[in-house]
Amino acid sequence: MKSYVYLILSVIALTGCSPSATIPTSFTETSDSLAIYPDYRDVTIPPNIAPLNFMVTDAAATEYVVTVGDLVCGAGKDGKIDMDSVAWREVLTDAKGKSLSVNVYAHRASGWVHYSPFTLDVAEEEIDPYLSYRLIEPGYELYRQLGIYQRNLTNFTEEPIYENNRTFSNEDNHCINCHNYQAYDTDRMLFHVRAGHGGTIIVHGKEARKIGIKHDSILTSGVYPSWHPTMPLVAFSTNKTGQVFHMYHPEKIEVLDEASDLLLYDAEKNTVRHIFHTKDNMETFPCWAPDGSRLFYCCAKMPASLLGEHTPMDLALRYDSLLYDIYSMPFDAETCTFGEPRLEVDASGIGRSTSVPRVSPDGRYLLYTLGDYGQFHIWHKSSDLYVKALESAPLSGDSEVRPMTGTQEEGIRPLTAANSPDADSYHTWSSNGRWILFVSRRLDHNYSRVFISYFDREGRDHKAFLLPQRDPEYNTLLLKSYNVPELTKRAVQVNIETLKHVIYHTDPDPATYQP
Amino acid sequence: MEKQSFFNYLRKPAFGWASFFLLTWLWAAWWMGDAFRVTREYSFFAFDTVLMHGIWQQSYGLLWIIGRALLTLYRWPVIGGLMVALLLTGGSWLVAYCLRLRPDSRWHFLAFIPAIAWMTWVAWIGLNIYYQAEPGRTLGVLFLGVLVCAIDAFIIWTFKGRRTTPRKVTAPSLIGRAGGESLLLLLFLLPFAITHIRHPYQRPYTQMQVQLMNEDWAGIVKTAQDHAELSYRPLAANYAIALIHTGHLADALFEIRMDYDSLYLQSYSGMGDVGSDLYTIDCDYHAGLFRAATHKAVEHLTMMGPTLFSLKHLTRLALLDYDWELARKYLFVLKRAPFESAFVKRYEPMLGNTGAVEADPVFARLRRTEPMTDSFESQYEAPAFLGYTTSLMAGRSMDALTQSLMACLYSKRMPDFLLRCQPLVGTQPPRSIAEGLVTQSLKEPNILKAFPQLQMNAQVYQGFIRSNESAFKDRPANARRLFEQYKGYYPYYYFFGNLKATRKRDDANTTGWKAGVN
Repeated sequence: MKSYVYLILSVIALTGCSPSATIPTSFTETSDSLAIYPDYRDVTIPPNIAPLNFMVTDAAATEYVVTVGDLVCGAGKDGKIDMDSVAWREVLTDAKGKSLSVNVYAHRASGWVHYSPFTLDVAEEEIDPYLSYRLIEPGYELYRQLGIYQRNLTNFTEEPIYENNRTFSNEDNHCINCHNYQAYDTDRMLFHVRAGHGGTIIVHGKEARKIGIKHDSILTSGVYPSWHPTMPLVAFSTNKTGQVFHMYHPEKIEVLDEASDLLLYDAEKNTVRHIFHTKDNMETFPCWAPDGSRLFYCCAKMPASLLGEHTPMDLALRYDSLLYDIYSMPFDAETCTFGEPRLEVDASGIGRSTSVPRVSPDGRYLLYTLGDYGQFHIWHKSSDLYVKALESAPLSGDSEVRPMTGTQEEGIRPLTAANSPDADSYHTWSSNGRWILFVSRRLDHNYSRVFISYFDREGRDHKAFLLPQRDPEYNTLLLKSYNVPELTKRAVQVNIETLKHVIYHTDPDPATYQP
Repeated sequence: MEKQSFFNYLRKPAFGWASFFLLTWLWAAWWMGDAFRVTREYSFFAFDTVLMHGIWQQSYGLLWIIGRALLTLYRWPVIGGLMVALLLTGGSWLVAYCLRLRPDSRWHFLAFIPAIAWMTWVAWIGLNIYYQAEPGRTLGVLFLGVLVCAIDAFIIWTFKGRRTTPRKVTAPSLIGRAGGESLLLLLFLLPFAITHIRHPYQRPYTQMQVQLMNEDWAGIVKTAQDHAELSYRPLAANYAIALIHTGHLADALFEIRMDYDSLYLQSYSGMGDVGSDLYTIDCDYHAGLFRAATHKAVEHLTMMGPTLFSLKHLTRLALLDYDWELARKYLFVLKRAPFESAFVKRYEPMLGNTGAVEADPVFARLRRTEPMTDSFESQYEAPAFLGYTTSLMAGRSMDALTQSLMACLYSKRMPDFLLRCQPLVGTQPPRSIAEGLVTQSLKEPNILKAFPQLQMNAQVYQGFIRSNESAFKDRPANARRLFEQYKGYYPYYYFFGNLKATRKRDDANTTGWKAGVN
């Protein structure tokens, strides 16, 4: 019942903005710069993406007409362009591998004016149709209503995969995080439940179960996960994380690990063991290579002054000296053993720090974020996306191949076209390797939003565009942040009721620790 | 004969309804007007599905949304009160209709019982009408009650009303009717009495909150001083904020009692709560601790969903941070809320205009106490506005020093206080600081050498010690008695005021634990 009323309200809220549109026959050209939100000017888009609805702002205009190829759409005074999905699909299908010209006409008191057109380049390669993410207030310590949602990128449908309790309850309050899939498929997925009803939810097809990764030898429990692409294995980091709040600083908060290790969890045997169990090094953010032959991860050395006894505050006061490099090590699937680590990105050598390594599906590129320090880069304005060619992959493009900063390191460059002055982080590749999705705080410096950038065959990034919404103002009104965008080829199969049952009514099955 | 006509008039049904309406209006607009006005501030309503999604998803979400919508009228308590009075009176009329309680029946007074029960419930929960609770709950429940009665009345009217002959009514005896009406009057006094007795802090506190919204600093000071005998942290917090803005922090802080009686409050979880969320954000903000205030305001937004209170704070904090895009976002959301144009009109022109931000008199005052260097909130005892301020080592202005000195005096951290008095040597310290200095002059004779002009204060202090020698033997028992005589006098506060905090600090010191700032 609620859903229906909500739907009706939504429809009421969204209608009435599209008067019948015909291209003005007489108009004058204007040299005024076109103000549209979101900024979709001159971006490269997937041929299967939902309509890029946008809003035109022209204080003197009372109505608008927009053409995208053969598609004509009108808008009232609010300037909101709500394109017809079917017509949009046809236009994009016809324009695969070509450019579309977008013309905007505004009706002012003096008559119609025409802005300089902009282009939409339609790529040949599609994007995976499903994007899942967590929506949560960008709070710090507390949480209330949050959920993991699944958006169909070919339209505007968003459905909850799981939502925590909507009404405050001492017994039922719980947080959910770190959803992860195996090889872009939803057959195997997982996410964590913290606080009440805690555990890690392991999904296999339409079934789900709750496990507990706790042991005296394990720092906390499984945290940042990465499914092995073919085996029922998950590499987890286990992190002892804290946060401190600045009193007078351009950044608001520092989230740092006091300690961290890596774990290997076997989802079939329900066993867990350490990959790394070190005191002086902090390993985190594991990521399998797409063929499962190597495990990439970030690692920081504990500052020398903190190797002995120290309090968490001692560490916090040295927050900017925690510098993470990226390593990888070979994995033998037969014996489930790892080889010697190899340094992949020496960020600490130039006084900077990496986070979230992600290898492209073709195994040629390593995508990560580089910031001034630490590993929780989503709170760091200095955080930018960088890519490293792992093999002899080309790295050309508008931005030349150049070092992270300072000294030259071969085959590494920032994604200049996609990056922004604000925090750009938590990125993922599409399964065909042509699209990069990431979250960025560039719009308002506080609420992270999903951006999509084309990564062409020459290894060149393109201007990123905001995840389209039916109502262009949606992102301005939404007081939650997008976390952990993950692409999948198909929708999540497990039912929300199944997940609720497992979370609320089952105890975690403790994983057996293997020393 | 004339007298008899008058009583006849009083017995007319219209008079009864009109009296009830006026009395409920009085209650809802005057007695509870500020409380509902503040509740509105801790609420948010907009005709927007994105913004209302969180509340919509809750159990009874639609009801809470309706309650929040009604609450928007409390932008003007007279109007909001009128709406509540109409609902209460209309609801009572519907109860009378449904139960066929005719005006000449001895049981007619029963028609008013549900309305009075609702008022009593609202009075009983006190500040929990919004504090860590759903703000739309009270008016939502009222609306639901009236709606149920209306539906019931409609059914009766449709299927029975026109065919039913009036129930035969036996004329009640004079005693019977008088008894009912007297009982009604007594019951009507109940919500007033509950607020007055159980929540004596509620009306002055909510009055101060409204004055805070209006930046009526002098009004807050007056309200606090008019209720100087009441001793509750939220009152003291608002008073201190107002003194910061009037420049009288160092003269008048101790003119109200600070012994801190308990508040009747429940937290989100239904457990007892000390109510620190009532003032922490405001205090951090007005102490110039913008990052700490942002931290708390975001947590408030997370827990309560968007509220006018958190959105307005976050707008101001974003402006103070020159974060135009973030401020624009919050203003955009606030524009969706009914009757918030004044706030938007004041702050929207500041977007992208650092000069306008710095020219705002309130912002300019707060900027003077903003930290100069970075540190972490958790390095200080909570709450930050006390923990940070008592630890201040370098400030932007004399205002920052004054705040730090007064925080030390309030916390009775005398070594810290004396350490920070160095810059005042050679000047005439403000009243409370001078009194703080002489309070330590017996232990530290050098104080009077550094501040020779305080000799007279020292003699007064010695007189205070001598004349109250016996009271020192049982300070908690004598604190209240001496307050009227010594209110505003720091040595009184030092020895007799805020003793719970003093005890807590003594305990803390023995265990080496550094917490305990009250």
